[in-house]
Amino acid sequence: MARLLYQGEPVPLEAGEDVLTALLSAKIDAPHSCRAGVCQTCIHRVVDGTPPETSQNGLTDAQKKLGYFLPCICVPATDLYIVPAEEIGDSYESVVHEIEYLAPDIVRLSLDHDPDFKYRPGQFIELIANKNLKRHYSIASFQEASDYLELHIKLHPRGQMSKYITEDLKIGSKIYIAGPLGTCIYEGIDPDQPIVMVGAGTGLSPLVGIKREALHRSHRGLMRLYHGARTRSGLYMHDYLEALSKSHSNFDYISCRLDSDVEAERDIASVVLDKETNLTDPTFFLCGGPGLVNRLKHDLYMKGVSLKKIRSDVFVPADRSD
Amino acid sequence: MSSLYERIGGAGAVDAAVDLFYRKVLADGRIARFFDNVNMEDQIAKQKSFLTMAFGGANNYTGQDMRNGHKKLVEKGLNDSHVDAVLEDLESTLRTLGVGDKEVKEVLALANSVRDDVLNR
Repeated sequence: MARLLYQGEPVPLEAGEDVLTALLSAKIDAPHSCRAGVCQTCIHRVVDGTPPETSQNGLTDAQKKLGYFLPCICVPATDLYIVPAEEIGDSYESVVHEIEYLAPDIVRLSLDHDPDFKYRPGQFIELIANKNLKRHYSIASFQEASDYLELHIKLHPRGQMSKYITEDLKIGSKIYIAGPLGTCIYEGIDPDQPIVMVGAGTGLSPLVGIKREALHRSHRGLMRLYHGARTRSGLYMHDYLEALSKSHSNFDYISCRLDSDVEAERDIASVVLDKETNLTDPTFFLCGGPGLVNRLKHDLYMKGVSLKKIRSDVFVPADRSD
Repeated sequence: MSSLYERIGGAGAVDAAVDLFYRKVLADGRIARFFDNVNMEDQIAKQKSFLTMAFGGANNYTGQDMRNGHKKLVEKGLNDSHVDAVLEDLESTLRTLGVGDKEVKEVLALANSVRDDVLNR
């Protein structure tokens, strides 16, 4: 008899019963609508165990790989430990390995972490300074090739986390991380098909990670990376990416810079829409502020790109997410 | 006689139709404004749910869901003309996909059957 754990608490499960029914019977306020595995309203995530394949019908390859499933059509055959889809998960202690300035206002933070903390580049974590100071950052490292978790952090003049990182954190300092979350990863990609990555500011961080994983997995199709920033220093990995584009025939790097008062994010979107004429084959990865990501997602979709081939991560400023 | 859902191609047909259909809806100047500021991924899942219902698929979509889901839009002026526009977009999607006449009529009748719920009447 399969057992069900929800947020660490056991939930009674009758033989042949679906997970949604079990959650609702246990007075857990699980959102739901169609109860037929179609609307995806009830989506949850398995943190331990394997959901039946049929309970992942209609989900993306990334969601399937990361354990997302639909409770309303899930009759477990084996034990499942589940959490709500957006639950950040357990926290782990980590130790600062390195703090390096990539630009006057961008820091690369490398953390030594518990090997049980598993992640994919393109996902994000919660960095926890204390119980009142937590921020989300995307992951730039690829775990199979790196001992350290790498985050690119934009410093804000009056940001609390920025102040904490620049004034309090030192090599060897302990800091907690929780997660990871997010489905903007290199999964279910045909290695012979193109991928197009578009990021503004530290939206480059997850894209560098995705690029690292793609190269590691011997991606053969074209990889084109667009990076937009307002200033030259904001194109913070320019030299490295330029060199990489020279050494790899299938890696292409396009930087977009604006020093004027025109919004840089809008401009990079126009560059992408002009240049990307093959809308059938590539998978698009879009990372950055809502202005860039939502506009590009809409415009690419309207030009004919399937939404299944658009993966995105919207960076929401802390003052709005708090 | 097999069911409408089987004849039309089941979940595969819903998958094939949803991108086309939602794109037509967003490009339709009569109704596009109702989709401003929605999360596109969430919306695609909802459209799949709607298409599954309209294609005669197993679904526990209730009138209450339809009412709650559209209440705010009715306050913003959603009316019969907008439902008509959606049905036109649905018909044109089905024609594009080469669905037979008989099935198109059945789908449109099913889709139209939730009109009063959508408009909260």
